[in-house]
Amino acid sequence: MSFDEIRQRARSVWDAFSAEGRRRVLVGTGTCGRAAGAGEVLYAIRECIEQGVIDAHICEVGCLGLCYAEPLVELAGPGTPRVLYGGVTPGHVPQLLDDYFQNRNLRPDLALAIMEGDCADGIPAFGELPVMRGQVRVVLRNCGIIDPGDIDHYIARGGYCGLAKALQQAPERVIDEVKKSGLRGRGGAGFPTGVKWGLCRKSPGDVKYMICNADEGDPGAFMNRSVLESDPHSVVEGMTIAAYAIGAREGYVYVRAEYPLAIERLEKAISQAEQYGLLGEGILGSGFGFHIKLKQGAGAFVCGEETALIASIEGRRGMPRTRPPFPAQSGLHGKPTNINNVETLANVAVVLERGSEWFAQYGTEASRGTKTFALVGKVVRTGLIEVPLGIKLREVIYDVGGGMPGGKRFKAVQTGGPSGGCIPASLLDMPVDYEELTKAGAIMGSGGMVVMDEDTCMVDIARYFVEFTQSESCGKCAPCRLGTRQMHGILEDICAGRGREGDVELLHEIGAAVKLGSLCGLGQTAPNPVLTTIRYFRDEYDAHIKRRKCPAAVCREMVGAPCRHTCPAGVDVPRYVRLIAAGRYADALDVVRERIPFPSVCGRVCFHPCETRCRRGQLDDPIAVRALKRFAAERGMRRRKKRTRRAEPTGKRVAVVGSGPAGLSAAYYLGLMGHNVTVFEQHSEPGGMLRTGIPAFRLPREVIDDEIAEIKKAAGVRIRTGSRVTSVDKLLERGYDAVLLAAGAHQGTRMGIPGEDAPQVLDCVDFLRAATSGADVALGRRVAVIGGGNAAMDSARTAVRAGADEVTVIYRRTREDMPAWKEDIEEALEEGVKIELLAAPVRIRQDGGALVLECIRMRPGPMDRSGRPRPVPIEGSEFEVTVDAAIMAIGQIPEALPGFGCEFDDRGRVQADEVSLQTSRPGVFAAGDLVTGPASVIEAIAAGRQAAQSIDRYLGGRGEIEEVLAPAEESLPGGMLEEQDERPRVAVPKRPAAQRVADGGEVELCYSEEAAVKEAGRCLRCDLEEPEE
Amino acid sequence: MAEITISINGRQVTAPDGATVLEAARSADIYIPTLCYDDDLEPYGGCRMCIVEIEGMRGLPTACTTRAADGMVVRTDTEEVNRVRRITCELLIADHPADCLTCSSNQRCELQKVASYLGLTHQRLGRMEREPILDESNPFFARDLSKCILCGRCVRACQEVRQVGAIEVVGRGYKSHIGTFADTPISESVCESCGECVDRCPVGALSVKAEALPPTVEVKTTCPYCGCGCGLVLGVRGNRIVRIRGDADHPVNRGSLCVKGRFGLDFVGSKDRLTAPLIRRAGTLQQASWDEALALVAGKIQEIKETHGPDALAGLSSAKCTNEENYLFQKFMRAAVGTNNVDHCARLCHASTVAGLARAFGSGAMTNSIGEIEHADCILVTGSNTTEAHPIIALRVKDAVTRRGARLIVADPRRIDLVRFAELHLRQRSGTDVALFNAMMNVIISEGLADEEFIASRTEGFDEFKKCIADYSPERAEAISGVPADDIRAAARAYAGAERGTIIYSMGVTQHTTGTDNVLALANLAMLTGNLGRPSTGVNPLRGQNNVQGACDLGALPNVYTGYQNVGDAEIQRKFERAWGVPLPAEPGLTVVEIVNAAAEGSVKGLYIMGENPMLSDPNVNHVREALEKLDFLCVQDIFLSETAQLADVVLPSACFAEKDGTFTNTERCVQRVRKAVPPPGEARQDWEIICEVASMIGYPMRYDNPSQIMDEIASVTPSYGGISYERIEEKGLRWPCPDRTHPGTVFLHEREFSRGKGKFHPTPFREAAELPDDRYPYLLTTGRLLYHFHTGTLSRRSEGLEEISPPAPFEINPEDAAREGICEGEQVELSTRRGSVRARAIVTARSPKGTVFMSFHFREAAANVLTNDALDPIAKIPEYKVCAVKLAKVTKSL
Repeated sequence: MSFDEIRQRARSVWDAFSAEGRRRVLVGTGTCGRAAGAGEVLYAIRECIEQGVIDAHICEVGCLGLCYAEPLVELAGPGTPRVLYGGVTPGHVPQLLDDYFQNRNLRPDLALAIMEGDCADGIPAFGELPVMRGQVRVVLRNCGIIDPGDIDHYIARGGYCGLAKALQQAPERVIDEVKKSGLRGRGGAGFPTGVKWGLCRKSPGDVKYMICNADEGDPGAFMNRSVLESDPHSVVEGMTIAAYAIGAREGYVYVRAEYPLAIERLEKAISQAEQYGLLGEGILGSGFGFHIKLKQGAGAFVCGEETALIASIEGRRGMPRTRPPFPAQSGLHGKPTNINNVETLANVAVVLERGSEWFAQYGTEASRGTKTFALVGKVVRTGLIEVPLGIKLREVIYDVGGGMPGGKRFKAVQTGGPSGGCIPASLLDMPVDYEELTKAGAIMGSGGMVVMDEDTCMVDIARYFVEFTQSESCGKCAPCRLGTRQMHGILEDICAGRGREGDVELLHEIGAAVKLGSLCGLGQTAPNPVLTTIRYFRDEYDAHIKRRKCPAAVCREMVGAPCRHTCPAGVDVPRYVRLIAAGRYADALDVVRERIPFPSVCGRVCFHPCETRCRRGQLDDPIAVRALKRFAAERGMRRRKKRTRRAEPTGKRVAVVGSGPAGLSAAYYLGLMGHNVTVFEQHSEPGGMLRTGIPAFRLPREVIDDEIAEIKKAAGVRIRTGSRVTSVDKLLERGYDAVLLAAGAHQGTRMGIPGEDAPQVLDCVDFLRAATSGADVALGRRVAVIGGGNAAMDSARTAVRAGADEVTVIYRRTREDMPAWKEDIEEALEEGVKIELLAAPVRIRQDGGALVLECIRMRPGPMDRSGRPRPVPIEGSEFEVTVDAAIMAIGQIPEALPGFGCEFDDRGRVQADEVSLQTSRPGVFAAGDLVTGPASVIEAIAAGRQAAQSIDRYLGGRGEIEEVLAPAEESLPGGMLEEQDERPRVAVPKRPAAQRVADGGEVELCYSEEAAVKEAGRCLRCDLEEPEE
Repeated sequence: MAEITISINGRQVTAPDGATVLEAARSADIYIPTLCYDDDLEPYGGCRMCIVEIEGMRGLPTACTTRAADGMVVRTDTEEVNRVRRITCELLIADHPADCLTCSSNQRCELQKVASYLGLTHQRLGRMEREPILDESNPFFARDLSKCILCGRCVRACQEVRQVGAIEVVGRGYKSHIGTFADTPISESVCESCGECVDRCPVGALSVKAEALPPTVEVKTTCPYCGCGCGLVLGVRGNRIVRIRGDADHPVNRGSLCVKGRFGLDFVGSKDRLTAPLIRRAGTLQQASWDEALALVAGKIQEIKETHGPDALAGLSSAKCTNEENYLFQKFMRAAVGTNNVDHCARLCHASTVAGLARAFGSGAMTNSIGEIEHADCILVTGSNTTEAHPIIALRVKDAVTRRGARLIVADPRRIDLVRFAELHLRQRSGTDVALFNAMMNVIISEGLADEEFIASRTEGFDEFKKCIADYSPERAEAISGVPADDIRAAARAYAGAERGTIIYSMGVTQHTTGTDNVLALANLAMLTGNLGRPSTGVNPLRGQNNVQGACDLGALPNVYTGYQNVGDAEIQRKFERAWGVPLPAEPGLTVVEIVNAAAEGSVKGLYIMGENPMLSDPNVNHVREALEKLDFLCVQDIFLSETAQLADVVLPSACFAEKDGTFTNTERCVQRVRKAVPPPGEARQDWEIICEVASMIGYPMRYDNPSQIMDEIASVTPSYGGISYERIEEKGLRWPCPDRTHPGTVFLHEREFSRGKGKFHPTPFREAAELPDDRYPYLLTTGRLLYHFHTGTLSRRSEGLEEISPPAPFEINPEDAAREGICEGEQVELSTRRGSVRARAIVTARSPKGTVFMSFHFREAAANVLTNDALDPIAKIPEYKVCAVKLAKVTKSL
């Protein structure tokens, strides 16, 4: 039969299959679909049809790539559009079929998309799905659309045309066409395919081999499997064309045995192609003959390497050898051999069918065409995607992938599998092509793309990937076999909190040597995850090594309970939560007091990083740790027994400058250790930012007073208010043995725009200080607040309480990117505050008594170093806001304090050693916002603890401030670790907005006993979990 | 060969085209550190120590795998290169036990050397904790995998050099290690214990167990086991041999050794060695002085000679003794005693070769040399279990097949190890070789594949031969031999179509009542296809013992003087009478079996045996015992109290190979030096000295200062040894014929003409073996050797290790036969023939063909030769060891 006849026949088969009005049920039964339950769904559909309920033709198709929505079912019938349904369960089936075929009800509740035609019944067209919009499907052209077991479907859609065309040309012409297309190897290295073919063709020898590398081994990669399962003929055709071009008569598909369905479908495809005369002797009547055999690999990662793959086919241990000679010169059985990846070959047929120019329209100058990726990890729409090369990473992750689930922050993306690298947020605008990825320290690889969010520890990720490459190293060369092992050991140590100074440098040194010294690609790329995470996430390594902290709270051995690990002061959260659940509130409070002297304050205003890492949050909501702390403080106080003991006086005198949470915490612990401590406070009342920066509706004054009183009493701390220290020298002269500077950051920063020095433009620090001291701060009817942090929210809400009835917060980024706490933003909105997002003033002018803020709208631009899109002004979007006053809340810096005689950085912060907190002057320490810039209460407390320890050591003590106040726990019943049922967080009671605005009283109330015990009972008690072996 | 020039570290270096960068550097004495590199093995590129910088090449290529190209610019010692090497070396050391001082490889360790080159001074990387894996299952060597650096040299040696494949890298990642199939202890693997791996190990991972102390001197000598003639280097400390290695420069073994040569030499220092003469007094052997013993021997010889004439005396010389000793022994029998009754065990192995090849070509030795085998393009191996009996020659066969693509045809009833490498395995029924070879020749003639020109110009007797062959169609041969006719055709075409076809055979061909015909048929086959007189062709009998060739060459045969000079030739007789100064007997003497028969009949009354053990080696041993017991006087001169010595009237203790100087002639006719490394134990004396003493005492004075003098005398009376002297063979042996002092020796024979002029075709009609299985004795018994033992076990069984690996006394039986007889692996079975019975342990294996059982003759516990048939080949007088009828009976285990 001629090819035209074959095609004719195939088209009639396809037309009959896809004819308008034909009742059809397509079920995606690739491995991904089956894993999601497509088999059961198919069975349910068959039952319905066999019972005669519905009359329709069933067809199993491959993978459409929408893994997040599996199992997928497509329905087509007379008079209804073809509709794709996602997440179908067997339970859905009878009703769905009945609705679709009998009731003409398209079931928009289950529908994902209309496959052909425009949107209908609110169901979007397939091409308009966000996941599809950025995609171009060349390799995946038939996946999920045709029956992979029917060669006619493939032929009808243009299959084997490329082969027919190729056979009419000289092999050299075919090679030229592929060269012109710019197609590069999709296995990862990106070597130009046509050039590779040319080398093999030119190699002398009668016998040559063509091998398809289907040994897909990267964790999280399944592109090739999907193509083999969904469109096996595209690979068979590509191989045959390649064989013709290089002059091979025998070929192998090296496919891993873990892909049974791919093997089954390939076998069928090969035998069909043979029956059709498209494979075997005399293909399509030409003199060219080609035979394909399947070789099942045992799943060794290294067998993806060409020479190891060849060794494996030859029946030897899959170990690479040095090159040259290259396989094109001496490959399988010593004969010239060409090896291409599945995806490369699936492209070849199209290049020949539609021409190199058509192909080259996609992609960039150097990287033509499209690339499939297995988009997995912390991304909303996981799946198999195909995008033009050169697309930006951000588009892949956010537009196609839908961004991070749960509103988490993006951290990194790993491309190229375990040999690839981790690319950070700041490079998200990088185009995806071979050269750019290599420049970033990663590789294209075969197309695995693993997205990681803030809950991912980059050291742990590096450890994981090195563990993988280590266990897959073939053992032949020492750098790979032992270097990865050594690196893995170091990384394990770091993750377990045993990291040592110099480890990162050693990792770097070994990694560089392994890259240079290893025999094959596996070893030469294995250090990439380590080297790129060091390059982009060095701070995480340092946190592990220097502070024994895993910022993502992932590293089990170091972390224990993530809440406790994440708490800067190390409060033993699970223990006190458990005590609350047991009704032992005083003991619970003592547990909190073991680590901080401000339990009530923190119970109200802590920004609770503990909750962000709470494991319960992965199930439903995190535990309301802060609210429970407040409950413990309020209830526990009543029954509290005094257990804190002060040590014998040491005779040493310490001066603390500043009475904020950092200074007072340090004073408290120094006092307990027996030192004679004096705190100097420039204002009339102690408390620092607690008092001057946080409005009373969030933190009542008496709470501050009570806790400071307790500090004075228990630790014998003297506080000299109204006493501004301007010179450290004087303190030292007066006989203080050590000085702690903890003066905070009390000076607001300015934007630097024209007009901002107008009298109606206030600084949030001044404004809040005035307001919290009880002064009249009425600003007029209309108030604007510039900024998006907590100070902005506090200012706006204070303004509301001061009588302004139109308060607008103007912020230059999106709401997701606002640094203020989510609860505070919500409360502010409840209280009538308006938020103008993606806008910023560029000039302020006075208009009579009013202020006119000339603003401009912004759009999110490329990622900045913080991993957030940089706001970019939109030309011509200027607008004006007229107000009576404006408050600048865009940041604070420490006041200039030259008299301290320390070193400062350009943002006015005192330079102190990260661990000892000692400044450049002996005996002078610094802590809190003065060192870090504006931070949180709990961080200030933690810094105060750290400073106290360090100062004590400086004074000859041992820096021991660990206290055990609560009695040791008896063994507690287990069982809750297994909890799977969702139980949402018990809401924290709040007073109605109108009421709290009107009386200025507290917004939030304390849990009732019943609520607290219930909430505490939700704790999963990860601290009791045994580390995995 | 073309030469190229490359620049290494700024120096211009010239190297042959095709050399690697590493080879080029080494030739210029530029050191590049290596760990996985080995001259004899394919480059591996695994240790990454030899990385270098090459201009224009990406990364750091390995010098061992990169071919040098003209104009290449290489730098071997740059900072970057050394930095990467240093880390790699540090990684290895962090994974290596820090017990250098007590490691057996200290000072020889290549890792130490490289670490020192790289200037490593302290351990920086964390020590990796590795589970110690110590495999001490092999009796000879230990494997300490914690010291292994995974350079793969052992694996490659096992695969490339030995082609055994017992070990491979197994596991992945850090768990990768060298292991056997299924990671069993090495002793349970297919390992042949050759120790090649141990020899190649650059660190202390593989070590010889016995080597506690390093040697102080090394002595080069020749291995005393089989006929390969491997070069040995004996490491001596005091009076003990403490280390043994193969001589890397030796052309036969190129540094390799088999298990016996490397590990089986402990017999030298065995406590069982004879240290003083023994005289039978009141029925028991008792220690005596040399004077007493020698006086007794001389007296008895004199007495018998005088009473019954010289032909009532006979002597068995030894294939284990030196050329010089064999020469003196036959001279002693002929000149001092006055009889030609001198023979040795060659009679029992290759008498048919000597007879057959002498008839066909005029010379009975290997036509070609061992090294040539490697270059043959078709090899027919028949009746030779080469890998077990001649392990080092087998390496050349394997090399030819796997490295050079030669075609291998194995014609053997048993599925021997070489079948792994063979294209065709012709499994003829034992005793039907002639039919098989005749049919191959039938195919060659009928298909016009014969070398007409060779036949016409170099041979005679073709027509008569051709007539005979016409009767042997492949179908008829199939009916006789059981080999499918198509396989016979395929084999014929393969061999006839070869450019350089060579035939290798051994006792499977010779030890038949049709032995001479078998040999003649092979000679015909070679002549028919012109596969003679050229390199890598020929008909190559592999001789069994270290010096069986030499013993024959030196005239320890009843019908010939040295160099196969006929005793019946009056002129030659006169020459020797002149040389030796006495009249000599003209009649040929008795052969081994004939001597035994004559002793049984009483015509031979006195027997002098030097280093032979007919009580195990001769057929129908019960008959031998009767004969020896009937003798008036039996003198045995040996290093151990062998089964034969136990029957002697006088036992004289002698020196073994390591205790004397001399020469051995190996199977390829190469005369090689044997050198004294240690003194003999006790009062043991060198064989040649003892013979001189006895000869002198019976009135024929013999006196030599040293063996070199004896060799000079040999050269003076032996044309083929005419040019051989110790001076000339100091470094390397010489292959005879070597007629004069300037002759370079002869690598292959019959180049322009055959020794007898024209090669002669002999018709060889098929005859059945003397005794075939029948209803009473339903199985065919065939015999042979095992890798781990040698001959009658006198030497090998003194090695505890060899004995452990290969304990007594097995026989092999096909699974189907075993099932029929209800025999399970390991069970004791009584094997009986018409001549006797023995008990042996069953090994059930498909190596044995159906209907055939196999037994080795090494074990006195179950002496195979109690069973074998002493029927003789009519021409060569060789017994039919390879075929007799046997029955089996399970031994019921007593509780």
